[in-house]
Formats: sequence, C-alpha cells, structure tokens
Amino acid sequence: MGGKSLLKRLLLTAAALTVGTTAGFANDLSGMSWDQIVSQAKEEGKVTWYVWHLKDDLRRAIQSFEEEYGIDVVIPEGTDTGNNEKLLAERNRETGDIDVFAASSDAFQTLDASALFSPLTMLPEDDGRVSEFGGLDGGDYIRAYWGNQTGIAYDPAQVDETALPQTPEEIAQYWDAYPNKFGFNYQNGGSGPSFYQNVLRVISGKDFSNGEVTDEKVSALQSGFDFFNEHAENYLITTSNSDSITRISDGELAMAPAWEDHLSGLQKRGQVRKDIKFYIPEMGMNGGGNGVAIPRNAENPAAAAVFINWLTSPETQTAFNRDFGTAPMNEAADDSFALVPAAQRKFRAEWAAQPFQNKVADLFIDNVIFER
Amino acid sequence: MSARKWLLIAALLTPGLGLILVLIGTVVYIAVAQSFGFYTITGESGFTTQFWSDMIGRKLFSRSINYSIYVGVLSAIFSVALAYPLALWLRKPFAGSMAIGAVLKAPLLIPGLVAAFLFINIISYNGIVNQLIQWLGFSDAPIRMQNDSNAIGVLILQTWKNLPFALLLLTGAVRGISDEVLDAARDLGAGTWARFSKVIAPLTVSGMQASLVIIFIGAVSDFSFQVIAGPTNLQSMSQLMVTFKDRGDWNSAAVVGVSLMMIALIGSALMAIGARLMLRRRLT
Repeated sequence: MGGKSLLKRLLLTAAALTVGTTAGFANDLSGMSWDQIVSQAKEEGKVTWYVWHLKDDLRRAIQSFEEEYGIDVVIPEGTDTGNNEKLLAERNRETGDIDVFAASSDAFQTLDASALFSPLTMLPEDDGRVSEFGGLDGGDYIRAYWGNQTGIAYDPAQVDETALPQTPEEIAQYWDAYPNKFGFNYQNGGSGPSFYQNVLRVISGKDFSNGEVTDEKVSALQSGFDFFNEHAENYLITTSNSDSITRISDGELAMAPAWEDHLSGLQKRGQVRKDIKFYIPEMGMNGGGNGVAIPRNAENPAAAAVFINWLTSPETQTAFNRDFGTAPMNEAADDSFALVPAAQRKFRAEWAAQPFQNKVADLFIDNVIFER
Repeated sequence: MSARKWLLIAALLTPGLGLILVLIGTVVYIAVAQSFGFYTITGESGFTTQFWSDMIGRKLFSRSINYSIYVGVLSAIFSVALAYPLALWLRKPFAGSMAIGAVLKAPLLIPGLVAAFLFINIISYNGIVNQLIQWLGFSDAPIRMQNDSNAIGVLILQTWKNLPFALLLLTGAVRGISDEVLDAARDLGAGTWARFSKVIAPLTVSGMQASLVIIFIGAVSDFSFQVIAGPTNLQSMSQLMVTFKDRGDWNSAAVVGVSLMMIALIGSALMAIGARLMLRRRLT
C-alpha cells in the first residue's frame, strides 16, 4: 500500500514537472493574432539576438527596427560555436538567454530543430520568405535571413576578364600559366573548402548531396587529390577567408575563393581595394545562408517573432543586399546591388551533406595539404 | 606527528593547494573522461577507446605532435641560447644597462596575437622587409616569406616573446656568481668558453632548467603564433584541438588535449634532465 502510494506520488510529481516544463517552454503565440503578438512584443520591450558575424554592422542595421517598434535589440558578443554550445547547454532551463538564435545552414543541420525551437507559424503570411537554403530544410522552425555565395575573387588588373577559368581543367591551366597567383584556404572560413570540395565533386563525378560515407565515394576522391598534388607547386594555401582577400588587395595574389558578402563588406568599409571583382565559376561553388529560429525557452517570444518578421521582410533583405552584398532571402526583395549578375546564380552549388563533408575535409588535409 | 597536527597542516594548505587541486584536477578529470567517451555534449556518453584508436592512426595527429615538439624544443633552446650572452653582458650594471634590460623585456608587455599580426605585416609580400630587400638590390621581386613551411616565422616569434622569461631567470642566476669564482677560473687558464661551460653554466643550471621548462610548455601548446604566422601545411596540437572542438567533436579534442598535457609534462621533464646530464658529462 505504502509502495503504491509512493509510486503514485512520484508519477504525479513527474507529471506536474512535465506540465510545468512544457508550460515554461511553450511560449505559445499560436492563438494570438499578429496585432496581439506585436502588442505583446512591445510590452516585452527587448529581444536578445545571438548572432556571431558582423556584429557591429548588424547593431547599426537593426536600429531601424528599434525605432519602428520601440523594442531594444541586444546582440551579445559570441562566436558561432560558442552560441551553439550555449543553446544546447541551456536547452533544459525554463527560461533561456537566447530570444533569437542565428546559425549557418551547416550548423542548423547538427541541431534537432523541432526539439529546440518554436514553430514560426505565427509569422504573417509571406510566400517570399525562405526556409530551404544551403541544403537545409528549415520547415516551420527556421527562416533564412542572410544569403551568401562563394565564388572566386580576382584582381582585374592581373586577370583577363574575358577568359576567367570556369572548370577544374581551366583553373589548372591558370595555375600553370601564372604560378602562385592563385591561393585558397582550407581552414578558418568556408570559401576555400567550397572551392576544393567542388573541384573534387566535378572530378570524382560523385553525388555529394548524400551524406553517406561509402568506400566507393571515398576512393573516387583520389583522382581529385591527384589533381591538386600534380599542381601543388603552382598554387598557394592561405590561412583564412580574410587572408585570401587581403593578399589579392595587396597585389600578391590575382585570384582566390571568397564569400560574396565578405568581399562586399570589406570593400564598403574601405578595408580592401574596391576594384576587386567576383564571379561564380561554371563548375559551381557553394551557396549558403544563415537562418534564425526562436528557442522554445525564449524569454521574449513575441518580440523575437516580430524581429524575425522584420529581419526576413523584403525591405530588410533589400537593405542587406545594398549594405552587405548578401543574396536576398526574400523573393520579393531587390538584389540589384549584388557583386555578380543574376545569371551566374545558376552555378550555385550546395554544400556536401554531413558526415561526408567532414570526411572530405579530413581526407583533403591528409592527402593534399600534408603532401605539400 | 599527531593526527591533529596533520589536520592543521592540511587546513593551512587548503586555501592554496586545495584551489589548485580542485581547479586543475577537475579540468584534467573532465578532459581525460571526455577522451574516453564520457561527458559527450551531444550524443550518448559511455566508456570507449574509439576516440584514442581513431586519433592515433591518423597522419594529422602524428604530424601535429611532431610539429608541436619541434616548435617547443627549438623555441626553448633558442631563447635560452640568446638569453645567456645578454644575461652575462648585463651581469654588472653599466650606464644604460637598465634601459637595455627594459627594452629586452618589452615583449612581455605585447600580446602574442598582436605581435603575430605585426610580424605578418612586416614580412608580407609588399611589406617593409621586402621593400628593403628590393631597395638594396638583393632581389628584383618580392620574396614570399609569410607562413613558411619550416615555421621559421613561428620560431622567431616564440624566441622574441620568450627571451625575456629566460633573461629574467638567467640574469638573477648569473648575478649570483661572484667575481672571485670567475677570476679564479681565469687564473687557472680557463678561456671564455671554458669559463662559461665549466663554471657559469653549472652554477646557473637551475635557472636554465626553469627557463627551458617554462618556454617549452608555452611553445609546445602554441596557438596564436601558429594560426597567424605558422605553416599552412601543418597544425599545432592546440590548433588541432580547436579544429575538433569547432566541429563539435569534443571527445577528439579531449584526446588531443590530454596528449598535449602528457607531452608538456614528459617533454619538460626530459628537457630539465637533459640539461643537467649534458652539463654533468661536460664536467667529468
């Protein structure tokens, strides 16, 4: 009898805790109209956005939101991995510090969206918003706010613009004709990895969109490694995305893989030469994107929803294209300020799926970088 | 000694030793446990040697170990080798010796990351070193010196940064040798090298050991110099650890971290013993 009573009490306690926890994580705005959500957001008065890139520029960019809604946006200092770890570390807290969580499509693929984030079904209808980007299907939980594209940055003073190399073979010809004028990074940024990954994809002829690691796919990469090793004397390895662009600006390099938004931002701030140009080669280079989501335990869910609505609107996406050179993540936005013509966007490729992507990176380091 | 006295000693040691044991002990415990599959941040935790066996079989890991030891050992030797003549020169005060000593210790005040960026700016393709080389007519075109594959840039930075440590330790030790001892050696016919190797070095061996150990531990775990100025075809162990951690692979990062701690411990012991044995052999 006593045992049964104890068991009953334990079950009731567990049930109460479950209900309490669920209630704490609910942040349920689904029953509310958008006007009610906006009104609650203004009462909350604050939204904390955990974003890791261009924080100072984004702090300036969100001032128009703060003026329009009277809601303060706080962008704490932090790195991408640090923010990711914080999200996971406080996932079981009743109320977390993160109202809006930003991450790359790659990083979102490592997270269980339905367990960690609230659905964004409360946002006003807008077919232009993007939930599928960079190989990620964000479903109801994630919306893209930042589109970026890798390609090849070049110095028009050193490169014949009418004969830009488009395929691995043409790139190798360029390496041989202009030794050590082309460089790429394999760490500290994704532009170089996008380059070598696409060269390997084209040469191996394998499908990288499937994350499965098989012996057949791995052995097919060898021809690509041989390609890099045969020309190893004629290209350079740089230390990061920034290093590649800086060395083009300095005149040391003539070509290097880069991110479109990164190059555009550096040019707008006067940190590199404004005449450096950018193109997406026909062999394809990866496009990516960053998305936002609202953690289930966000303290200010209504303010977070209003902020995401603003962030992914055509107006904000047009402004981001103008100010940062991003690829707009709302179909109704204007992309006329991009560094590349719209026609080149068709060469956009997707990142290799995980865990194959990490396997390719490991093998590239072992078979190409360590052979130098 | 009674139990009460033992308790008293333990209580007196607790504020210092206890803090060290708790802080370092927990970190070491977590790192070792993570390297064996526990404390996995995402995924399941449980004992496994998989992370160690996967890592030990990788070229990435063995090259990283060799490279870190290379940087650690050479940085320690170069710093001490350069610090000795400076310490001997500054042994007796002279006009301006204070100012020279202060300038030599200036690298202590400059963060490593700042130094690495300054260094890269100076040696870059169109930096002032290349401009000078071309102006002097040594070369028609700029020489590519950045991120050299032999890590000469890293060794220069490590030596520059660590020389003041060695200088501080060795200056005190050298000043402790009396003039009478050196005069007696000179009277007995000892030349400059013999006075150094048979008198000064043995009498300052403790300072030398301390310098070698401190510099080795710092240089073997270098991160900031390596990521900015290091070779792009090699990774230091700290860099490798951060690479794994950034991928969310904390268990592999822990394997590298534990290995780095073991290398720092064993390596510094070997350097200290080696220095003493070398001097003993020279004296016999």
